[in-house]
Amino acid sequence: MSKTKLLALILAAAALLALPFTVSGAWMDIANQILLASIGALALMLLTGFAGQISLGHAGLLAAGAFTAGILSRELGAPFWVGIPAAGLTGALLGVIFGLPSLRLRGIYLAVSTLALHFLVVYLGGEYETRRGFSTGILIDPPMVFGIELWDPFAWYPVLLVGAILTYALSRNLLKSRTGRAWAAIHDTEPVAAALGINVARTKLWAFVITSAITAMAGALFAYYRGFVSIEAFSLFVTIQYVAMIIIGGMGSLTGAVLGAAFVTLLPHLIEGATRYLPTGGAISGSVFAMNYAAFGLIMIAFLVFEPGGLMGIARRLKGRG
Amino acid sequence: MRDLEVDAISLSFGGLQVLNEVSLSVSKGEILALIGPNGAGKTTVFNCISGLYRPSGQIRFKAQDIAGLRPHDVAALGIARTFQHGEVFARLSVADNLMAARHRMIRSNPLTELLGLPSARRQEREHRAEIARILDLVDLTPVADMPVTALPYGTQKLVGFARALALGPSLLLLDEPSAGLTRDEREDLAHFILKTRDALGIAMIWIEHDMQMVADLADRIHVLDYGRSLADGPPAQVLNDPDVIRAYLGTTGD
Repeated sequence: MSKTKLLALILAAAALLALPFTVSGAWMDIANQILLASIGALALMLLTGFAGQISLGHAGLLAAGAFTAGILSRELGAPFWVGIPAAGLTGALLGVIFGLPSLRLRGIYLAVSTLALHFLVVYLGGEYETRRGFSTGILIDPPMVFGIELWDPFAWYPVLLVGAILTYALSRNLLKSRTGRAWAAIHDTEPVAAALGINVARTKLWAFVITSAITAMAGALFAYYRGFVSIEAFSLFVTIQYVAMIIIGGMGSLTGAVLGAAFVTLLPHLIEGATRYLPTGGAISGSVFAMNYAAFGLIMIAFLVFEPGGLMGIARRLKGRG
Repeated sequence: MRDLEVDAISLSFGGLQVLNEVSLSVSKGEILALIGPNGAGKTTVFNCISGLYRPSGQIRFKAQDIAGLRPHDVAALGIARTFQHGEVFARLSVADNLMAARHRMIRSNPLTELLGLPSARRQEREHRAEIARILDLVDLTPVADMPVTALPYGTQKLVGFARALALGPSLLLLDEPSAGLTRDEREDLAHFILKTRDALGIAMIWIEHDMQMVADLADRIHVLDYGRSLADGPPAQVLNDPDVIRAYLGTTGD
């Protein structure tokens, strides 16, 4: 590791440790949302940015994890340490189902088939809510983690930080070993990979299983964090946000996934802040949501056209210049 | 007993007969050059052997019928190949291209890899040591950690050759390894091919257009023309066969 890299790492670690002591509760909440989004974005980055498999089922998988944790907590009073792995198992199982179409389909056709599964999960979640009479959603009590009740953003921060760092570290491990190389190989060219001994079907299925498990666990964390699960929270827009994170961050980079997660999470707050300084004053504050959608679309198009390498591409160019 | 026996394979795409009862064979330690005009079906024969196409007829490798096996199962038997345009894995470094070809031999699974368990790390180390030897054999050690796309075309094709060796093959299929290479690179390649044969004693089928190289290196030549086997024999005999000269080399004796 180079000296500058080590220094950057130390500074980042110091900033992450100092953060809870310097920010308000509202900003702590935003930081937590970035950490949650990072876990989901890392998973999607592994699947799309590394293994080359397109999926529009991300919100469906988050929902599956959130509902697994919610239902287990509500129906059986299951604790956090049961809910999270159970969500991971649900995700792994769904990963097999989400992954099966990838053995026959690719590109846009694969995307549409994963989209169908998204709607299936959302339908099942909605059915559960109505049947059980939780028409507005499921309430979850604050979980106990290592004897601490996680009831405010400050208590959550260390848990989510460890979760995000673990996801990053484990993803890196995987990418630097047999499975990660096989993903790169099938991403480049499937027949060549196959002729060199790589079982393409099995490699794709593993990609879906592993990333779906991580995504579902991120969904479960989200449910615990919010203390509330409702199927409305998992619209297709959520999927689009995650796709935006990996595009904006920079395809094929784990750090890019984290940067993209931060960017997309912060965007509505930046827009809201900006509207305050517009001469129209409060007149358009009601349309922040619509503006967020529009800004989102524009930024995604801008990145695809002008900077396909995403934020990481920009960073690499700056570094090359310096 | 021949290592590989291709026995009367035929293949057609729609109405187009690409291969018509092609038979050839190669033994351990032997270099068989496969020559013929463009479109004669040379690469198609390779694609049939490596399981990408399914011809009629039989393909036996060490007495086992391999026609119909999936490509990765064929590779698992020790049949490795290179591709006409290198087809290296662009997202990986030179060393990792070779490591990717050791996929079938590395004994770790996604869970042990995720957690970075000692067993997975030991496997990684052992196979890295193995590919270091192969990189050394073909003089690629200085560029081992470079992204493969940063290398010139000729070097990329050499990476493709080394990647095939990394699979630990007992049969090597080389698809025009010298095409697009400079004179110096060709000489290096010829040297590496002979070195590989002598060091590993494996069978090779080698598609080649450079008749000088073929005459110098091949133990035997098999000629394809319009999907048919036209001639088979030692270089001196085949290259002077009037049919071969007419079909391939041209009447002017180019």
